[in-house]
Amino acid sequence: MKAVIIDDEALARRELRRLLAEFSWLEVLGEAANIDEAAVTIEALSPDLIFLDIQMPGGSGFDLLARLDRVPNVIFTTAYDQHAVRAFEVNALDYLLKPIEPERLAAALQRVNNAVALPMPQRQVLEQMFVRDGARYWFIPLREVRLLSAENNYVRLWWRKMQPLVARPLSAIEQRLEPKCFFRANRSEIINLEFIENVHLGINGGLQVQLRGGPEVEISRRQARLFREQTSI
Amino acid sequence: MAFSLTVSNYQFFHRDTRPAYWLVQGAAWSAYGTVNAVAAALVVHLPWQRAAVEMAFFSSLGLVLSHTLRLFMRHRAWQGLPLSARIPRILVASFLVGALAALLTRFLGFAAWRSEELAIGWSGLQPLVSFLVQLLNWMLLFLVWSAFYFSALAIRHRQLAELHEAELARALQASELRLLKSQLNPHFLFNALNTVRALIADEPARAQRAVTQLARLLRYTLGAGQDDLVTLKQELAIVEDYLGIEALRLGERLGIERDIAPQALDMRIPVMLLQTLVENAIKHGIAELPPGGVLRIYAGLVQGTLVLEVENPRPEHVVPAAQEGIGISNARTRLLLLVGPRATLDLDLSNPRRALARVRLSPTV
Repeated sequence: MKAVIIDDEALARRELRRLLAEFSWLEVLGEAANIDEAAVTIEALSPDLIFLDIQMPGGSGFDLLARLDRVPNVIFTTAYDQHAVRAFEVNALDYLLKPIEPERLAAALQRVNNAVALPMPQRQVLEQMFVRDGARYWFIPLREVRLLSAENNYVRLWWRKMQPLVARPLSAIEQRLEPKCFFRANRSEIINLEFIENVHLGINGGLQVQLRGGPEVEISRRQARLFREQTSI
Repeated sequence: MAFSLTVSNYQFFHRDTRPAYWLVQGAAWSAYGTVNAVAAALVVHLPWQRAAVEMAFFSSLGLVLSHTLRLFMRHRAWQGLPLSARIPRILVASFLVGALAALLTRFLGFAAWRSEELAIGWSGLQPLVSFLVQLLNWMLLFLVWSAFYFSALAIRHRQLAELHEAELARALQASELRLLKSQLNPHFLFNALNTVRALIADEPARAQRAVTQLARLLRYTLGAGQDDLVTLKQELAIVEDYLGIEALRLGERLGIERDIAPQALDMRIPVMLLQTLVENAIKHGIAELPPGGVLRIYAGLVQGTLVLEVENPRPEHVVPAAQEGIGISNARTRLLLLVGPRATLDLDLSNPRRALARVRLSPTV
């Protein structure tokens, strides 16, 4: 497994590297001292795992995650910000308090290892987005999103009871979606096929799709033909 | 803290004492008049009606004159005078007011009864003696009145001072607690421990030095409540320990420029004042900048006034109000409580890329 260490303190990075030397199956590919460096490093090396400090100059660890298109597994390392990590509503990954205890580190790595070792279909769950909505943060597995709707330059994710906004164009997210699962219903909405409750004819030759947990989405006439072919209705 | 102090003092200083004053005045003079009238009726066998009229007159005259005396004394701020200056003034004032009272009594025809009815026959001198007895009587009365008045004032002042002191102590204690909280910044502490652990294996000598510095810093911070004022020299030593640890963490990102005038070293400043400013400069300035920056510490004497400056670069996107956090406002409160109005603490954020904290401590007058 490939990992990257992100911390603004050189000595903290050195210490973590030393602790990680125990785990032969883990390879530390690189380091970054701030979030700009980190974004470039992660883009270039696509690690499976990042160790991420929260307080850093120029932007926090959360700022970095919100910027990433593909979010790897994250283990937060922090001296005292555990309350910040706990701000995660769900899907919180692990956090380690500095100075890091070797036993805690081993347990955290074991958890990541288990997650990565899952069979393929479940692994797709790991295709996740980091979303910040006000003071709350989520790692959102895209498979669990039932509807993505464009709102100006934002995309609203309909996920469980939440509808957080993401500052990205819909087309950028569409590229990362599993085409077998997601379908472009109209100019501004993409639906998750696994969440369809029922379909009935709409006006103008389109289709009305009722999603489990709401809402109702209209499939445009042009897309309706494609929809029928793809789902063989 | 500073705010609540002001508010409660305001209420205390401006508590309305007028009802109490008039109640005591009214009661005292009524009692005096009643005693006089009863004495006149029983001892001198004056008719009751006349005694009643006399009672009303004496009470009213005493009330009006003593109140006038009070207005005059307040106007001249006698309560602020030392006793040696106040007592002669009270004697003279009592004499004058007593004379006025005696004259009024005489001309309104009330004073005659004592000598006439007692029929002390000092013939020619008799009116003058009678007048002088009246004057002395009134003067004594106003002396006693003044004694009561100033005693009451003194008691009230003392209560006020005690309350003020208690409030100050409370404020100090509270700010001391908050100071400890901000100084034993857990983030700093745990990061420092992590740094030390990273050094132990490869650079034990640096690790040892860091532990010593951290220990000194902790001891100074924990004991900061014992001495309110320390010399600049003592404070600078602890700032150096703090900077030593921060330098390990920040590495090349932290540059330090010191410009300390030797004659300023013995000046006394509130404990942890400079330390708070330096910590603030690193936390909100240099640590927030990816390339870091240079921290500038200046201390000098300008015409006897100690000037301390801590200057740092800061991220441009931070809104100006952000740096004026708990640390600065805390330091300012402590400065006010410990040194009073001869000290000022300003945070100059006019330059969007730099922050400059400046303390001025003028010498005791």
